[in-house]
Amino acid sequence: MLSRRALIYLGERLVLVAFTAVAVSSIVFLGVHQLPGNAFLSDRRIDPVALQAIMHHYHLDLSLFDQYKLFVSGILRGDLGESLVNRGIPITPLLLREATVSLEVGAAALIFTIGLGMVLGVIAAIKQNSWIDYLATATSVVGYSMPNFVIATVLVLIFAVYLYNWSGGAIYYEIGWNGTYGTLGQISIPAFALGFPYASIVARLTRASMLEVLRQDYIRTAKAKGLSDRIVIIRHALRNALIPVVTILGPLTIGIITGSVVIENVFGIPGLGKEFVQSILSRDYNIVIGVFTFYALAIGLANLLVDFLYTAIDPRIRY
Amino acid sequence: MATAPGVATPEEYVGDTLAREQTSLWADAWRRLRRNRLALVSTFILLLLVVVAIVSAFWTPFPIWRQSVGPTYDPPSLHHLLGTDQRGRDIFSRLMVGAQVSLQVGVGTQIIVAALGITVGLLAGYFRGWLDGIISTIINIFYGIPDLLVALILVLLLGRGLDKIIFAIAVTRWMDMARLVRGQTFALREREFVEAARASGTRPNKILSRHILPNALGPIIVQATFGVPQAILFEAFLSFLGLGVQPPTPSWGAMAADGFHALRIAPHIVLVPAIALSLTLMAFNFLGDGLRDALDPRQKR
Amino acid sequence: MTAPVLQVKDLKTQFFTDDGVVKAVDGVSFDLHPGETLGIVGESGCGKSVTALSILRLVQEPGRITNGQILFKGTDIVTMPDDDVRDIRGKDIAMIFQDPLSSLNPVLKVGYQIEEAMEAHTRISGKVALSRAIQLLKQVRIPAAESRVEDYPHQFSGGMRQRAMIAMGLANKPSILIADEPTTALDVTVQAQILELLRDLNQETKTAIILITHNMGVVAGLCKRVLVMYAGRIVEQGPVEQIFHDPQHPYTWSLLQSIPRLDADRKDRLLSIEGLPPDLIKPPSGCRFHPRCRFRIERCFHDDPSLMDVGPDQAAACWVTMRRALAQDGQARA
Repeated sequence: MLSRRALIYLGERLVLVAFTAVAVSSIVFLGVHQLPGNAFLSDRRIDPVALQAIMHHYHLDLSLFDQYKLFVSGILRGDLGESLVNRGIPITPLLLREATVSLEVGAAALIFTIGLGMVLGVIAAIKQNSWIDYLATATSVVGYSMPNFVIATVLVLIFAVYLYNWSGGAIYYEIGWNGTYGTLGQISIPAFALGFPYASIVARLTRASMLEVLRQDYIRTAKAKGLSDRIVIIRHALRNALIPVVTILGPLTIGIITGSVVIENVFGIPGLGKEFVQSILSRDYNIVIGVFTFYALAIGLANLLVDFLYTAIDPRIRY
Repeated sequence: MATAPGVATPEEYVGDTLAREQTSLWADAWRRLRRNRLALVSTFILLLLVVVAIVSAFWTPFPIWRQSVGPTYDPPSLHHLLGTDQRGRDIFSRLMVGAQVSLQVGVGTQIIVAALGITVGLLAGYFRGWLDGIISTIINIFYGIPDLLVALILVLLLGRGLDKIIFAIAVTRWMDMARLVRGQTFALREREFVEAARASGTRPNKILSRHILPNALGPIIVQATFGVPQAILFEAFLSFLGLGVQPPTPSWGAMAADGFHALRIAPHIVLVPAIALSLTLMAFNFLGDGLRDALDPRQKR
Repeated sequence: MTAPVLQVKDLKTQFFTDDGVVKAVDGVSFDLHPGETLGIVGESGCGKSVTALSILRLVQEPGRITNGQILFKGTDIVTMPDDDVRDIRGKDIAMIFQDPLSSLNPVLKVGYQIEEAMEAHTRISGKVALSRAIQLLKQVRIPAAESRVEDYPHQFSGGMRQRAMIAMGLANKPSILIADEPTTALDVTVQAQILELLRDLNQETKTAIILITHNMGVVAGLCKRVLVMYAGRIVEQGPVEQIFHDPQHPYTWSLLQSIPRLDADRKDRLLSIEGLPPDLIKPPSGCRFHPRCRFRIERCFHDDPSLMDVGPDQAAACWVTMRRALAQDGQARA
């Protein structure tokens, strides 16, 4: 499957991803530690002796350089330290669990985004200048002009309020979930709200790139061979049209992560995004740094995946 | 193409005009823009928004901070045009002041973004070499991090004043402008009139300000127009998460967040700011589309 | 003589653009016999490529065939249902294009693209298709065909890509191969090889070839008969040797004059045809070539000539014809 060269490339890239994650979290660490030491403790009424003990526990009494050394050595072992608010709670396992929750919703949103975006884009391109095309184009402008929490609100209104009342409770949607992971029904609406603005962008891009590809000489060649329109589009056009779409997968991942911070808070999804906002509001700086490290890793891995997708789709690109 | 936050799509097309063609270019652009109905309607909506924002600075139907000017959760009525919220405050008044906040954020960030992005872009595009290398690397690093999260951290570090929020948004969203101006400058510096100016010993700062900047103005305006809704959206996200402007100053995002919990009993509390926000963003995006088509007809979709 | 395999009758193909109707092909008729090699020559924009695309109904929007018949073995392609046209494409009539790099799909293997041409028309196993693809690549003289079949287009050289295109065209043993400027994008030495290949294939497989080109020299290298097109019309047709030796239409004559020749006297000025090809939305009145014609007479301005016999098998659409024009020229000089 993977050649030796590909494996070496993969290794190099993984090291780079790890390095970037450390670099990003270092910047956040240093930025955050510009604040005075006792800002790290939410409980201001604590007596000086106990405060000193806590400061010591979190190494806040050390010099910035020593704190940073401890931080880096911890991060290299995968240890992101302890929560400042919920004392004694180690951050790494907490965030790992939350990351899987976010991954569930984020992956659903990403699949939905790409799926819907590409279908809309391809239809709009094939039926260029038809009413379907205009509808798809109009939908996409509306899509990226609506904040995801607005889309979420409208969906909740429709499913949890109007359809609920109309069907006498047969159709319902529960905001917020009780377990750690959501069911398919539960994640559907957050994933839709999260993905829709980006689906619009994917649709526009797919349409443009599809139109470009359909003008190419090789499409004419394929038709001249006597292939059916369906095969020409699926086998010859779509794969080439996919190349520019793959380009935005990296930014798309960042977008989904950004959006999830809002959406997880709307729906009370216990993921990284909710943790991030909670930790900012409660000034749990250690968790802020930790979440950022996780995001940096996720983005790095997504970009790596994109590069491998490229080589899989376009034989002209080699590592 | 306008983008939602985080997804960057470069618009590195070149304003392909000589300085003496400028007047006819703007006249042409204006003619093309007038023919675009969506853009005209959008302009009208935005002008209305500006008027509302200005009026709200002097007068609102009810004081925005005072609670219980009416019953709580009251639906729209003649007395309270858009109803009241969970604390019995008049939503219409709050919406008016919210327009002020949104416009301030939108325009304020774009001023900083323009100043920063144009300067950096001109320098990178004109001098190239190591300077361009450094600037391009910084741009790419900024593209690689989730902007909203950085803005959240900045707000955490700096505090929640309107000026600080504007700064935080501008710092995370200047790259599109910088990249655009860099690309423009790159192309324009090869043009004959710039070569001529350089050959006759014109100093770089004069070349940049007299020859390159005026010719890149069209795309810059388009980019700034698309930048405004992005910034407004950004502020709405921050406020929605409870990290925007300090209450009781109303912000559309915060108003929507306040009402979310009462969605079942009083959906208007969320819907009013949500619709205002969506309309404003849509108007800016349509205007941006119109301006782009008008200023550069070759870019037409 | 055998019945023609393809008969084109009064074909008109027009493009409905915002600026007006472009009459790209305006009443073209010709026959093609089995195994024949026919050249269609003319400047770019004269309608030769659109004629070729019309034969397979591959003209893209906003273009449309508005008139005429294209009879393939007696059945009209113009009025045929889409599915039937698709059956003919690649199976009975194959087509190869000018730029082999852009005409091959960059993300699919060369072998696959050849196999696909077969699988579109016949039910064959992957194994058989593969071995047939290798055999075809060998037939078009691609070395190491067994391994090359796994390559992507970008790994081929320009000449090899065009060979692969030809292999693809031959995959279903078609009765007609339409080659649209097959050598234009290639180096001169490679051009000669491709022409030689086409000539050999024509002899081996008895496939009729329609060669479309702007280059008279290429026609001379391959074709027995030639049509000269100008502004959407055929202005002259006949056997290649005769046309080269004794062109009757001033346009053909100018085309032949514009070929640089090594054996020509250095003092002879290389003629090029003055002026631009005509606007096909509003073609000139009378003979369409008259604005650029050196030999025009009063009649050419308003009266549109049709093809008239000017020799055995040779016809030209001209009121003057070179025979008379050159005679007059001689008189004037004397």
